[in-house]
Amino acid sequence: MALVSINGLERHYKMASETVRALDGVDIEILEGERIILLGPSGSGKTTLLNCLSALDSPTSGSYSFSGINVPKDDSESMTSFRRENIGYVFQFFNLLQDLTVLENILLIQELAGGRDEDRARNLLALVGLEKEVDRFPAEISGGQQQRVAIARSLAKRPRLLLGDELTGNLDSKTSSTVMEVLVRACESEGITCVFVTHDESLVEFATRVVRIDSGKIISDENAR
Amino acid sequence: MLVLLTKRLARSMMRSKVRLTAVVGMVTVAVFAGVSFASYAYTVSGMYDKIYEDSDQGVNLPDVWVENPSGTWDGQTSDSLCEEISNNWANSNLVMNECEPRLRLDGTMFHAVTSDGVKEEKLIPAVWHGIDEGLVDRVWIPENECCSGRIATGDDEIVIDVRVASGMEISMGDSITIAAGSGRMNFTVVGIGLHSNHLYYTYGDSLFPAESGTFATGYLSSEGLERLANLSGGSSNLLLIDVLGTPDYDLPSTDEEEGAQLTAIVDNIDDIVSQTVDSTTFVYDRSQVFSVEMLRADAEGAMMFYTPITGMIAAIAGITIFLSLQRLVQSQAREIAILRTLGIPRGKIMPAYFLMPLFIGSLGSIIGAFLGVLLGSPGMLDFYEEILGIPILESTDLAPLVIQIVGITMIVVLLSGVIPAIQAARLQPLEVLRGQHEIRISSRRIQEITSSLPATVGLTIRSSIRKPTRLAFTFIAVGLSMLLFGSTILMMGTIEELTVEKIEEDQNWDLQSSVYPGGEEEVIEWVEQKDGDYEIIIDFPANPVNDSRVILVKGMDTLSTDNEAFIVLDLKEGSMPIKDAPTTQILIDQGIKHFLGWDTGDIQTLVFGSSLIEVEVVGITQGEISRTAYLHRSDLAQVVGVEATAVLIDLPEGQSVDSNLGDVSLGVVEKEDLVSSYESIMEQQQSFLGAILFLGILIAIVVLFNTLIINLSERDTEIATLRVLGAPMNRLGWMMFGEHLAIGLIGGSLAFFFTLAGTQAMISSFIQWSFFMTVSADPEVAILLIGIVAFISVVLTPYGMWRIKKMDLVEKVKDLSQ
Repeated sequence: MALVSINGLERHYKMASETVRALDGVDIEILEGERIILLGPSGSGKTTLLNCLSALDSPTSGSYSFSGINVPKDDSESMTSFRRENIGYVFQFFNLLQDLTVLENILLIQELAGGRDEDRARNLLALVGLEKEVDRFPAEISGGQQQRVAIARSLAKRPRLLLGDELTGNLDSKTSSTVMEVLVRACESEGITCVFVTHDESLVEFATRVVRIDSGKIISDENAR
Repeated sequence: MLVLLTKRLARSMMRSKVRLTAVVGMVTVAVFAGVSFASYAYTVSGMYDKIYEDSDQGVNLPDVWVENPSGTWDGQTSDSLCEEISNNWANSNLVMNECEPRLRLDGTMFHAVTSDGVKEEKLIPAVWHGIDEGLVDRVWIPENECCSGRIATGDDEIVIDVRVASGMEISMGDSITIAAGSGRMNFTVVGIGLHSNHLYYTYGDSLFPAESGTFATGYLSSEGLERLANLSGGSSNLLLIDVLGTPDYDLPSTDEEEGAQLTAIVDNIDDIVSQTVDSTTFVYDRSQVFSVEMLRADAEGAMMFYTPITGMIAAIAGITIFLSLQRLVQSQAREIAILRTLGIPRGKIMPAYFLMPLFIGSLGSIIGAFLGVLLGSPGMLDFYEEILGIPILESTDLAPLVIQIVGITMIVVLLSGVIPAIQAARLQPLEVLRGQHEIRISSRRIQEITSSLPATVGLTIRSSIRKPTRLAFTFIAVGLSMLLFGSTILMMGTIEELTVEKIEEDQNWDLQSSVYPGGEEEVIEWVEQKDGDYEIIIDFPANPVNDSRVILVKGMDTLSTDNEAFIVLDLKEGSMPIKDAPTTQILIDQGIKHFLGWDTGDIQTLVFGSSLIEVEVVGITQGEISRTAYLHRSDLAQVVGVEATAVLIDLPEGQSVDSNLGDVSLGVVEKEDLVSSYESIMEQQQSFLGAILFLGILIAIVVLFNTLIINLSERDTEIATLRVLGAPMNRLGWMMFGEHLAIGLIGGSLAFFFTLAGTQAMISSFIQWSFFMTVSADPEVAILLIGIVAFISVVLTPYGMWRIKKMDLVEKVKDLSQ
């Protein structure tokens, strides 16, 4: 059974006098363990799709089920609860909490999700190669390291689906590759399905499947290898 | 460019209309309070000087008083005293102008009142003055609706005080019945006026004005009072000595000797009088005349406090503006950085941040000045007239005061724009555009301290103190705003404790009958007929050696801390005096210890007129507002030669005072009248004090709200991140609650310390010989203050939750990706 099953998904926004169809009938299934890269030009709808996948946004129409269960919409708390239980999220600008150390950033998410597990937090930091930086503040480490912390943080509560929005957009190409290698290793080791939005075609090498989207529609969907 | 930047800034400020209104409101309040208090201070100070001055309109207040507290001098003695004083006048630049003998007696006014439909006669304690309308200390009958008539010339005529006329509804031409220990007589009211001794209208040395109908004063001709008291012609117990001009005198509120020349004259007169007559006499200047000194101290206090009050409220507004502008600079950092990158010089960026406080300050000042002139100043003066009953003939010119207060306020408010303006101009464009300007490495020390706590708690603590400068300023502003509230509570509590509670709990008598020497027998007979209990006491003035300040010495049969005693003493340290000790043992009040430095175990000398007596201080009492010493009555009687000056009476249930007691007493005071006077004045002040309390809390709410909203808006990114990552609302709510509670508890504790220090500073600046009090760290007030600040802080949590709830996470995620 597919982890994610989306049929006829539409998301419309009212902008002044016109309606923008950010998603215009998207159908997609995502299997467990896949690493999908969503490619498309600006305004193509890829971030909107990511928002719908993470239940940050509610689709205007269409269906979205996760592990066979309909994903909640239009209710902030049940959508938050869905994210907490199923979704990991990595931002372009890392968004680590500056007042917490690297380790505490991970522990915080565990505590908010209801279960602190320091051993796992340390293991995750080891997995992303940051076992020596646990007590440093985010401002004391490099951008690439911060993104690796963000990856470890997103894995901390064992999500089933990890989403990334331009997660290497703020990094140079060498650091981007390092971060992606770490991410692939971590996801494989944790058995986590991933969907990444990017402009960067070079990241295709880290995906198992590449989906191209334009004007709110999927225009191609093929295996990466 | 400046115009565009200013427009941008103005629009940003306008977006937070509540905050903008609040800071304009605070500036308004600062100017309003300043104008109101300053108008009061200047009006009354000038007014007292005019009343006392030696002119056709003034009363010509004497410069030296010679008082015989234990009896009267006949005409020949008083004339010879004046002659001796004139002949032996000290070698001084000060020239004696007049020496006028006067008679002033305690007495009773019999006033018919209807209570529950039953007409009864009420005995009202009174002071009667016999005045041969001379050149000194005249009765003041100003041309004002309060007053009318003429001075008393016939021996059956009387001028009554304005407060007697209004409080007991007595009019010109009415006949009133009065007594002064020798039976009652009727007098016709020929005038309604005021007298310098009773401008501040209190019974004895009470801190508060007497309630209507509980105290009376009247100004008779000297023949009239002699007739009433059955005294021979020319009798007197006061000599009023006037010096040419108005010499400086020593102010009790300062450590400096401002009136050395007059003090030398007082000492010289004291010597002359001691050598001329055997009777106990007191010689003093105007600083020892209670009403004169109270009013001077009140005006001095108002003069002293209006600037700090204005400055304090303006400073709170300034801090709020400063924090808001700082936040604006932070939120507009990118725009400023782009402008700087495009080559706009620093000098073009700074002015806009000065224009905002200038606008806020100007708007608030204009509104405040209008309200102050139109409402505050007249309101304060009306309040003064209502409470004190002294007519204000002419109020001060407000224009210079408004300019002064607006000036102070504008300086304080404009200063608040300096640092944000400098910060805005100094932003480094590259750092801002890279997003590095807001990155601060958290304190390693705090991290270590909180590392063992859960990350949620650690984050709560660290984010609370993330901006220590802002937090410190917030605490200062909250502390200052709660100082208004807290000091009012502490002062009200202290004053209520020293007045109403002190009398209700520590004075176990119903009536106090003042008597002539030997007159106590008739009073005791009256009490025994009523099956009552009594205690004879002697109240006698004394003073320390070479010091004209008066101590009321109380001789009592029972000196006790027992709750059943007629007067329960609150012994702070030491022990009770022993009767007939080789050196007379006394208790002194805390105020005497404070001002004279006397302490337990000291041997000191007290002067009772011309008699000097060595006393041993065996204990210190507390709770007395005026300076008081206690000793056994028999010990005091041996010194002053008087067995009684008053009888304290406790009547059984069902018995009450009647006119027979009035006929045999110099004056009768009912305890319930004293209590009701205090309660009444406190009630009158409730609305005024309530307004101060409300204002303090309101300002604290605005200050806390401002800071907490800034805190919340600064954490939008953090909170959005946590929400995207699945943080539940209730967890975020608890974190926010914890942060607000911590800020509230710390802010509240600091507010209490501010209050305590502020109130103590305030009290120590106005306590003086005639009124002394201390304020202690009352745990109830501490809990109240901390509770209020913590409550204000915590109730903002739902607002923060609502803000998070309405957060558009899709938009936030867009922001996070840009």
